[in-house]
Amino acid sequence: MLHTSSQPYASITITMDDLAPPSKYVTLVSGDGFEFVVLREAAMVSPIIKGMLDPRSQFVEAQHARCVFQEMSGTVLDKVVEYFHYWYRYKDSEDVPDMDIPVELCLELLAAADYLGLDQANMSTK
Amino acid sequence: MADQHSLIRTRSRRYDENQNGRPSRNITGPQSALTDFLASHNISAAQIRIEADRRRQQAGQGESTEENNVSEVVETVETVSVTVEASSSTSRTTRGRNTAALDKIKASKAFKKRKKMADDDDDDDDIALAIFEERRAPLPGQMENCEICGKRFTVTPYSVAGPDGGLLCAPCGREIAKEREGQPKKKPRKQTGGVGSRRTIQSRMLDGDVGTKSLATLCVQTLAKNVDLAESLGDLPEHLIDKIARIFSKRRLLKPDTLPLFMQPSTEVLHIYDGAKLGHQEFISIFQVASNLKKFKVRCAVQFKDEVMDYLLSRDIPLESFYLHGANLLSEEKWHEFLAAKGKSLKELQVYFTDRHFGDETLGLMKGCCPQLTRLKVCHNQKVTDAGVTAIGQLSSLRHLSLELLQDLSSEALKSCITQIGKDLVTLSLKRVPDADDSVLDAIHDNCRSLAKLRITESEAMTDNGFTRLFADWENSSLEFVDFQKCRQLDAAHPRENPKNIGLCSEGFKALMNHSGRTLRHVNVHACRNISREAFEEAFNETTQYPELRHLEISFCEEVTDFILGCIFRACPNIKEVNVFGCMKVKEVRVPRGVILIGVPNAQGMITEGTD
Repeated sequence: MLHTSSQPYASITITMDDLAPPSKYVTLVSGDGFEFVVLREAAMVSPIIKGMLDPRSQFVEAQHARCVFQEMSGTVLDKVVEYFHYWYRYKDSEDVPDMDIPVELCLELLAAADYLGLDQANMSTK
Repeated sequence: MADQHSLIRTRSRRYDENQNGRPSRNITGPQSALTDFLASHNISAAQIRIEADRRRQQAGQGESTEENNVSEVVETVETVSVTVEASSSTSRTTRGRNTAALDKIKASKAFKKRKKMADDDDDDDDIALAIFEERRAPLPGQMENCEICGKRFTVTPYSVAGPDGGLLCAPCGREIAKEREGQPKKKPRKQTGGVGSRRTIQSRMLDGDVGTKSLATLCVQTLAKNVDLAESLGDLPEHLIDKIARIFSKRRLLKPDTLPLFMQPSTEVLHIYDGAKLGHQEFISIFQVASNLKKFKVRCAVQFKDEVMDYLLSRDIPLESFYLHGANLLSEEKWHEFLAAKGKSLKELQVYFTDRHFGDETLGLMKGCCPQLTRLKVCHNQKVTDAGVTAIGQLSSLRHLSLELLQDLSSEALKSCITQIGKDLVTLSLKRVPDADDSVLDAIHDNCRSLAKLRITESEAMTDNGFTRLFADWENSSLEFVDFQKCRQLDAAHPRENPKNIGLCSEGFKALMNHSGRTLRHVNVHACRNISREAFEEAFNETTQYPELRHLEISFCEEVTDFILGCIFRACPNIKEVNVFGCMKVKEVRVPRGVILIGVPNAQGMITEGTD
């Protein structure tokens, strides 16, 4: 797994302004301050994150490669990040095992998935 | 012990005799052809059988002598010193023999195979031991001591294994079986490769999912697996609730105790995709709880009876959308009362499988009762006839009209309906209209100006000319959804001939793609079998582009070839699914990744590009 969950408010400073090619990784931050460093290509499956990080947009997120999700808790974002890597790993295979979803997180995760556009119709799989 | 050995010796001597003595041919009964053949090659079937018996018995003998040794040790208390020594030596030797056997097993093929199958955390020794135990287990027909009660019994193929791996006698076995019954069985391992995996993939493809599922789907599936744990769905957005409601119907999960998940006093939209387990009391409770209901949809609403409708009529719920499927206990009078009481606010009415209780009279009432009605769908109805369809022509507010009636409709009725309301229709769906002919198509051509979805299925009278005329210079804007399934000539005596060009044929198909190709998302020409190869090749030639096309159903179009499919994949960059059941000329087309090709007429199924 590539994501690292650090303590709340640990400082990972990425300065993207002067680097020409964007970093291969992006940082996703949960509402309670957990930070996850994720492969950019994997996170791009979410059309919302893709939009946030579009270099042509002048969003702060795009400039710093860092997205903050105020309404998501660390545990939910952890699962979302796990899904990004699950998707990235299996995107080119046909027979794929289902990812386990903890029952207690189910509804929160569903809301998060909806927010991030992670449903069949919206996912930017190509 | 000595007796035992001597017994063996005598027995073996007897076998030796048998072995040496060739069977005499003095008296022979009927012989099988095989025995005769073998005899002619100087091979004796009897000999083979005797030898096999001997080997089997020897194996059994070895087992039982060993067993006897041990049991004797326990029994004879007087000769302690001697037996202890003996037993320890035997146990040592058996252990020595066992380790040798285990090593042998570890080197065997069966072991490697099993090791591959087993999880990684299983110890080598455990696996080898398991195989060893299996091989050592007494064969059916032999005697064995029960592991629990110690009694001797005859081993059968049904003998149950005890807790320590030994076998149990019938009474103990029954006890154990009873105890084990309560325990959950081990989950079968999910197939991950080899035999069956290809079929699993193909089956998933038919369900429409290839590769990774979306996170939302995974969540909804997990939720459906644990319905009983959910207390409420919280305030999820409407489309997610709908998604959950849909998946509930897949396993008939909607029961009186799960219904409350979907209804709150604030609920405005209620979609039940399988209400078969709900009684009439539950339906009444829906209207008690959700007093703000605007859109109501139930499929398989068998218990939606007169009482329920009475209750609904007694409440002040201004329904905008009413969708009822399978409510064939609801009488026609109640429908009339419903239209009279609730028709004013009604915008959408969809009625499916109502048997004989929704007919021409009901449709006739709508003109006066439902001034706002924009969507009307009557499906699988046995009562509505031409008169009802003509009455629909009076509903000038209609935008969407779908009919699937079991009474054959005449072209005149359809024409009069389309002429009156065709101008504003966005959806026109006429399923199973065998008698409708070209005049209906002409009426559509002359009147419809806003259609986006057009469906005419199973017409046996419309001709290629009619379809060509429809699309030629049609003032209607480009369509998005077209379904001309089974519009074709049917003649059992001359199945191959189509002199009158009945059905959607080459020219009609080209005209359709020419008129609407730009915006079409969904095309169904299932079983329009007179569309020629040239027509397909022309419609999907190298200069065409159908950017919106997602679903293409060309099953039973006999002329579809690998080349045509290749052209389709090229011309439709966003295509998701192509159905080619019964297209026997499709052989081994390579399908681009992300596209699903269903119904390839060979065992291999679709071949994704770049996988071979």
